[in-house]
Amino acid sequence: MISALWVRTTVLDRLVVVLLLVWVVASVLWAAQRPAGAHVVVERDGQVVFSAPLSEPRSARLSGPLGETVVEIEDGRARVISSPCPTKVCMGMGPASRYGDLLACVPNHLIVRIEGGRQEDTPPYDLLSR
Amino acid sequence: MPFHRPIMVLVLLMLAGVLLWPRWGGEGSSEVRRSRLLLGTVVEITALGPDRDLLEGAVSDAFAEIERIEQLMSPHIEGSDVARLSRSDSPQPVSPETAAVLRLGLHLAAQSNGAFDLTLGRLKALWGIEGETPQVPDREAVEDALRGIGPQALRLEAPLVVKSRPELQLDLGGIAKGYAIDRAIFLLADAGVEFASVNAGGDMRLLGDRGGKRPWRIGIQHPRDPQRLLATLEVEDVAVVTSGDYERYFEQDGRRYHHLFDPRTGYPATACRSVTVVAPSAMLADALATAVFVLGPQQGISLLQYYPEAQALIIDSTGKEHQSADFAEYRL
Amino acid sequence: MTCSAVDPQELARCRRGVFLALFTALAVVLNVFEFLLPSPAPWFRLGFANILTLCALYLFDGRAAWTVSIARILVGSLVIGNLFAPGFFLALTGGVLAVSLMTGARALAGDRLGPVGASALGAVGHVLGQLLMARWLLVQHDGLWLLLPFFLAFALVTGVLNGLIAALVIEKVATHPAFASQRSTQA
Repeated sequence: MISALWVRTTVLDRLVVVLLLVWVVASVLWAAQRPAGAHVVVERDGQVVFSAPLSEPRSARLSGPLGETVVEIEDGRARVISSPCPTKVCMGMGPASRYGDLLACVPNHLIVRIEGGRQEDTPPYDLLSR
Repeated sequence: MPFHRPIMVLVLLMLAGVLLWPRWGGEGSSEVRRSRLLLGTVVEITALGPDRDLLEGAVSDAFAEIERIEQLMSPHIEGSDVARLSRSDSPQPVSPETAAVLRLGLHLAAQSNGAFDLTLGRLKALWGIEGETPQVPDREAVEDALRGIGPQALRLEAPLVVKSRPELQLDLGGIAKGYAIDRAIFLLADAGVEFASVNAGGDMRLLGDRGGKRPWRIGIQHPRDPQRLLATLEVEDVAVVTSGDYERYFEQDGRRYHHLFDPRTGYPATACRSVTVVAPSAMLADALATAVFVLGPQQGISLLQYYPEAQALIIDSTGKEHQSADFAEYRL
Repeated sequence: MTCSAVDPQELARCRRGVFLALFTALAVVLNVFEFLLPSPAPWFRLGFANILTLCALYLFDGRAAWTVSIARILVGSLVIGNLFAPGFFLALTGGVLAVSLMTGARALAGDRLGPVGASALGAVGHVLGQLLMARWLLVQHDGLWLLLPFFLAFALVTGVLNGLIAALVIEKVATHPAFASQRSTQA
């Protein structure tokens, strides 16, 4: 049966199929080395103290000089849900979900940043004035 | 087997495309983005250009410069010019930089009839707005803290600064941050950086455009809805500073008290919700944003007529939008 | 329509019309049938209708292939009921790219390229066309391209399969007396 089928292909046919196969393999390799998805990175005084993917729900307790700030990751967004600072600016900053988004609890020395992720998800502005 | 040449060409092109694709996507340009906690907020510096090492070095130096200005002008740091001035009774010499900042500040204080003020140190300490436990003080304490403030409170006889009353405490909060940003930009430019942004918690200055390709796009946050924008600006080589009643505040007895005080009343200013100023320097933009916020839309726009190089977007206390004459040119 | 059995040109035209109509109808049936089959993912299609496009290409010419293909997409959409829906545009771009590649390759290679090779190219073209349109219309970010390897692999396999089936069909149909004149001119 196989020979009956083989006979119906020309040399060029086989070449084309082989080349397309090469392309398939190449595309697999390419897809494998694409940059990772969005990550939440938390820094305290310049050191990274926490890192986690944005895609999995998680609660992170981060300690700083004032106490414990809790960052919650849910629905692809990171949010500060509690913090020992006096003015709670960090909690009022809303969710961070896109590459470059920043949350910070300044009194507690914590910076929460979104890194990685797709460039197309960036907001329509480079910087936010507030 | 002899193959038709066009097919070979096609096939080779396809292979080439597959193999070269990753390389075509890349560019000869680097982006260095760093953030640090300075000036009481997150300062983020972004620098673009071909030489990554140069960018990294310049950004590092820029942060060091901001730190230096903070050491010089912060009221909370022991050895700063500002702390020394606040503490002492007699005239004090200050660095030329502090003098320059004071000069603009005093000029603006006079022009704004006291809406802008550099001597609110006692008032801010009274409210505890930058501390752990802010609270609403009683009327007498507020009146006492306002004693002596105003455009006449300080006299600059370079290099000396004379206080009209010994108990006056300086606070350059509405202007020194802008100066620090200007210095950072200066250092970046001096190091050879052509495209950069220095963003201190929403107050920023841009150097050049975004990588030589397009202008910087700056979003202005809506004062009541953090997910919305008031406007998007397309700018290059200018400073954009926003003062808003939503940035730093505390609540007591169901009322909100924010950190931008009206020197004439001693209470948080109520005329505006948000003011964005676009100006050639961050120091000017910072000071004007503070002054206009207190003055309100009508008087604010009048004040801006003295500074044709500055433009503003004002959201008043009812949420209505006002613009200075040429602000629309920046809007996308 | 009336056919003059005497005039060979008219006969050829007549024959062509009849066969292409037949191919198109069969293609539509296969298209709809495929649409009704359960599928692991929305765009993993088996592409059986392409067999008829290949028949048109190999028994007639490139123009015939275009006719069958486009007609199949339009009529198929009408029958399925998604004319001018996103699915239709995906099928259209896929189909256009597929037929372009197939007819182009056939034009360049002539008889050196058999139905199997042409079918493989067509399947891959179809998938590419669909992905490009989906990227533009539906997904709007490049995460879609991560699926490319899967779609490509699937397309290659189905392409070869369809090509083999098409080869068998073409072989059989070519023995029909209707193509006797063609066979003699192709010798």
